[in-house]
Amino acid sequence: MNNDALIEELNRGYVCPPDAGPAWRAACEYGFDMSLVEAALKQTPEERLEEHQRVLDMVLELRQASIHHDTE
Amino acid sequence: MTQNDIGLLVRLKEQGVEFVVIGGVCGVLHGIALLTYDLDICCRLSRENLRRIERAVKDLHPYHRLAANKLPLELTDDLCDRLKNVYLQTDLGKLDCLGEVSGVGAYEQVLQHSITHQTSYGEFQILTLDALIAAKEAAGREKDLYALRLLRGIKEKKEQQKELF
Repeated sequence: MNNDALIEELNRGYVCPPDAGPAWRAACEYGFDMSLVEAALKQTPEERLEEHQRVLDMVLELRQASIHHDTE
Repeated sequence: MTQNDIGLLVRLKEQGVEFVVIGGVCGVLHGIALLTYDLDICCRLSRENLRRIERAVKDLHPYHRLAANKLPLELTDDLCDRLKNVYLQTDLGKLDCLGEVSGVGAYEQVLQHSITHQTSYGEFQILTLDALIAAKEAAGREKDLYALRLLRGIKEKKEQQKELF
């Protein structure tokens, strides 16, 4: 792969697979990062819930930090 | 601010609450990649079941979060008979207990459209993907339509790849 092709690939982001169905393609075209959904679907439901909890904890912590920052 | 969905689910389970996980957390369990800030359940609105919910969150300073005066959760038989939904704030986060799900029905119908979800912290009933899609379609708010795009994609992918959970 030449350098330009590699850079192009790196810049392109998620590419909807050619065998994707219409609903998957529609979500993709709407702008969802379907690589996140693909990653979630490789997990068990329990792993998904735990991952969601970790991200939620982080977001709420950041939000709280932002509130403190704004009031200083 | 805290939202500990797993902690709330474990407490509900420990008290034997009859419930089905619906809403955003149900979407997460099905694979949706969106954050949700409360735990929605559909539950039987009997006196006994509401008392179980009360016991599950009793030490978490629960109050009716949507009431103007943030009324503490103190159930009476009369209140139990009249409540159709219970929107709570607790020390472990928001817990919304609904008596029915639009597009699916009351608790019995919701239960019929649920699947058992096994975890290391217990077994839970969650709405099936089809029923969750029906609920989002019926709700029809902007945020539901947003999630619907993902849910339909997930349904399609799961139909193509049967090994996916």
